[in-house]
Parts: sequence; C-alpha cells; structure tokens
Amino acid sequence: MRQSATKLIVTLFGAACVLACPLMSATAGPSEAPQTTIPSALKIWSEREQSPFLLDDLHGDRRDLQAFAGKVLLVHFFATWCEPCVSEMASLQRLATTTRGKPLAILAVDVAEVDLRVRAFFEKQPVDFTVLLDRDRAVSKSWDVTALPTTFVLDADLAPKLFIEGDLDWSRPDVLAAIESLYPAADRPREKTTSRE
Amino acid sequence: MQRREFLKGTAFLSLAAALPGSAWAEVAFAPKPGAWRVVDLVTNITIEKPDGKMQAWLPLPSVAESEWIRNGETTWTGNTVSATRVRDPKYGAEILHVTWKEGEAAPVLEVTSRVEIRDRAIDLSKPGKVAPLSDVERKLNLEGTALIPVDGIVKQTSDKIVAAVDAKSDVEKARAIYDWVVENTVRVAATRGCGIGDVAAMLKTGNLGGKCADLNALYVGLTRAAGVPARDLYGIRVIPSQFGYKSLGAGSANVTKAQHCRAEVFLEGFGWVPTDPADVRKVMLEEPPTNLAINDPKVIAARKTLFGAWEGNWIAYNTAHDVALPGSTHPRLGFLMYPQAERASLLLDCHDPDNFKYALTAKEVKAS
Repeated sequence: MRQSATKLIVTLFGAACVLACPLMSATAGPSEAPQTTIPSALKIWSEREQSPFLLDDLHGDRRDLQAFAGKVLLVHFFATWCEPCVSEMASLQRLATTTRGKPLAILAVDVAEVDLRVRAFFEKQPVDFTVLLDRDRAVSKSWDVTALPTTFVLDADLAPKLFIEGDLDWSRPDVLAAIESLYPAADRPREKTTSRE
Repeated sequence: MQRREFLKGTAFLSLAAALPGSAWAEVAFAPKPGAWRVVDLVTNITIEKPDGKMQAWLPLPSVAESEWIRNGETTWTGNTVSATRVRDPKYGAEILHVTWKEGEAAPVLEVTSRVEIRDRAIDLSKPGKVAPLSDVERKLNLEGTALIPVDGIVKQTSDKIVAAVDAKSDVEKARAIYDWVVENTVRVAATRGCGIGDVAAMLKTGNLGGKCADLNALYVGLTRAAGVPARDLYGIRVIPSQFGYKSLGAGSANVTKAQHCRAEVFLEGFGWVPTDPADVRKVMLEEPPTNLAINDPKVIAARKTLFGAWEGNWIAYNTAHDVALPGSTHPRLGFLMYPQAERASLLLDCHDPDNFKYALTAKEVKAS
C-alpha cells in the first residue's frame, strides 16, 4: 500500500517536492485548508481508506476504530522490543498532554506480543491514550505495516492523510502544526496557520 | 549503513585472503563426526501467583537425524493433572502439553530429555549419493512462513545476491547468501531472547541487526527465495565448545538462556548441510576480547567452518514455524524454542524471569 503511496507522491510532486512542498492533499480540501508545511518525515498518504478494525485494549475491552471518528486520529503500530518505539512512545505521550481537550486521539497498536509483556511495559511507562493488542498481526497485515514503528494519521472522517515508517518526535512544533491543520475547521488554531487566498 | 558494512566486509575479506598461512593456522575450529556425547537436558517450570486455568508447553527434542542427533527418553514429574506429548502436524515438532487443576497452589513441572549428539562436517568438494528430498519436504522447505516470506523484498534481495557473484549451482547460491549474511548483518546484544525473525521488516528497514532467530531466519528466507531448500533448527547450547570458542558453547550447566537456532541448506549430492552465519557474527561480537574484526583469525576460522560444519554441543528441538499451542487461544508463535505457559488463560512472557520462572540445566553423562 505505501509503496503505491510513495509512487503516487513521486508522480504528483517529485521526490524533492515531497520534502518541502506545502500541505495540500493532506488537508480536508483546497478551499478550506490552511497552508501548513509538512515535516519532511511525514509522507502524504492519500490512498484508499484502511480496513476498519476491532481490537482488544489492555483491559480486555473491545475497541472499534469507527468509534474514534470526529477526531484526528494517530494509529501507531509498535512493539515493546522495538528500541525506537520506546522513546517514541514518550513523545506520543507529550503530544497527548499538549493536545488535551483538542480533537485528537491516539491509538497505539502493539503488534504480536504477549498481553502480559505489553501490560508490564505500560505499568512502567504509563500513557494517557488507548493501547490496543494486534495479537495475530491481522490488523498490521491488513494495514500493510511491514516495519515498526509505523504511524498513520487520519482526519476526523477517518480518511487517510499522512504516514511515517520509522520514529518521530511527535512533540515537535512543526509536527504538531501539521496535525492541527487536520482538525475540523472550527478547532484549528488560527494563529498558527495562514488561510489560502 | 548496509552498503558501508557490505563494502567494509568485502575489503576485509580481501585482506583476509592475503593473510599468511600461519595466521589461518592459529585457530583450529574443525568439528568432525566422531564420538557421540550424551546429554541430559532438564527443564523446571514454576507457575508463580497461580490463578485460574494454568497450562504449559515445552518443546521436546524432535529432530531425528541419525548422523548427528539421536533422541532418547523424555520423562517428567510434577503436580500436573494432564501431560500429553503432541506433535505439530506440519513440521513434526513435539511438544509436551501439561495442565494443572484450577486452584493448584504451587504448579511445578520437571522434564528430562536424554539426547545424543555429535559434530557434523560435510566435505563440499566431494558430492556423494544422497536421496533427494521428497516433494512434500522440498515444498515445505521452500515455502514462506508468516515471518519469512520468500517473495517481494526477500526475493529481490536474494536475486541480487546471487546475481552479484553469478552463482549458478545451489552450492554457489547457498554460499553467496551465507557470505552476504555474514558481511551485512550484525548481532545486537540488546535484542530480547533470540529475536523475532521478521525477515521482510529487516530488509525493508535496512536494520539487519538481531540475534540468531533474526540472522539465520534471514539466511533461510533468502536461500529459499533462491530456490534452494533451507530450514531453521531451533534448539539450545548444552555443553562448552571443545574448540575454545567461549561464545559458541554453554557457559555452565545452567543453560536457561542458551537457546540458539542454527540453519541447514539442502544441497544435491550432500543432503542437509549445516550452517550458522549468525554464529559468525556472535564470534565477532562476543569472543574475547570482544568486538573482533571480520579478518580476525577466530572470525575467519568460524566463517570458514560454519558453512558445512558445526559442533555437536547443541540440541535441536524442532524446525517448526507458526506453531499453534494446543489448548490455547493465543495466536501461533513464530517458532517454539522457549518454554511457554499460561496463567488465567494469559500467555506468560517467556523473556520475563520475574514473572515466569523456569530453569534449564544440561549435564553430560557417560555413554552407556
């Protein structure tokens, strides 16, 4: 899926442009989108919508992806054995703290690990957001996740917008700005964006 | 980084070729089939904080190859209410599945397996008459697994490796891939257990670090993708190396953390040929004084030997992938090399000694 997405990016913008061009297709629509620069690490993801899923959370409750519609959503695939994932989890928590009360939700999806290992990990490093268990890799496979960590950013309609393979400091101001640009119009911080003419 | 490592490895290889004969002779790593050694491998499990339904699964030595491993009797004691030897239908891996009654205050189990092992060495310059693999065996050892696909980036990488040296025969292909894995991967001490073995992710990210379950799985995947049957053998080191390699043998009778997987490739005229590129990287990282260069005589000797030979100081459990634990709802495991147990229907973390206590000891006994 993301190989195709990469091809699409190259076709439309050229590889160099991807690193520098303003956020256009990653926003809700040209007429209403603010002009925000995407951090180079985040790639535009404009392919088909990903498969919905139902997964258990750390407490054994079934969680539905669709229930998070209405908020910008980060779906973050990780594992506790993955070294970069550990430091990235701390930055996701900083993002969660910074955006408290904003229309942003974070779903951390652990891939193919023993429940007790994941629970032990979050007992030592608690987070405010939801942690889900993809025990048999079914969801990560259907989302074409081939490397950890991988994170997808969906808009409030759960439409695909951005993705990154590899770790990222989610508390960086430019990353936060890119996420805020996807908020429903009423929630966008005006002072940080410039409306397009 | 990959390319840099590859170039570095190549440069070192050239340098190694120019070393005087005396440098090569410094290390004699020459396993040869000889006397059988008899080992009792004992596994003890204790389920702490017992709760609800409790069961455990232990891999039993179930690779039977008359040239180098003979499995003897397995016995067990404990307070289980059931103990059943189960065989994985696809790979033949044998598993001891035990259950305890709910409310058992101190669930314990001790399993002892006697195994006979000896060195292996195949002279790849002298092909002989060896029965080919059956169609079923050939298919099994060429196909992909959940974590070791043989298409996509694995196939592309394999094709590049083979083409780069214009390898034509299966021996040449298997050797080229062995050299590539040795030169391009790295052993990472921080990897939990023996690694995951997610071969496609390794190639896609370019992170070719890990331990034996990663590095030898990469070898097996690339070799299968080249059309040459190969397999991982999941097992455990049980006695020290007789050739002075501290890193390639059990450090003591306590082998709780000595799990190790090796690999084999099936070559016409030779049969199953032992190989272990992951152990070459282990020698580089761990053999005193540690962090050896690829042209260190100890590394050169290990690299030369571990394509075609290995030391009989290790017991193979099985060659299985995607293993279902009978009686458990947990998804299939990538491989079964560690004891597994459930408490209150939740699988325990086999790499968390604080919460899942087990111990393995190995003792060499005199052959009767």
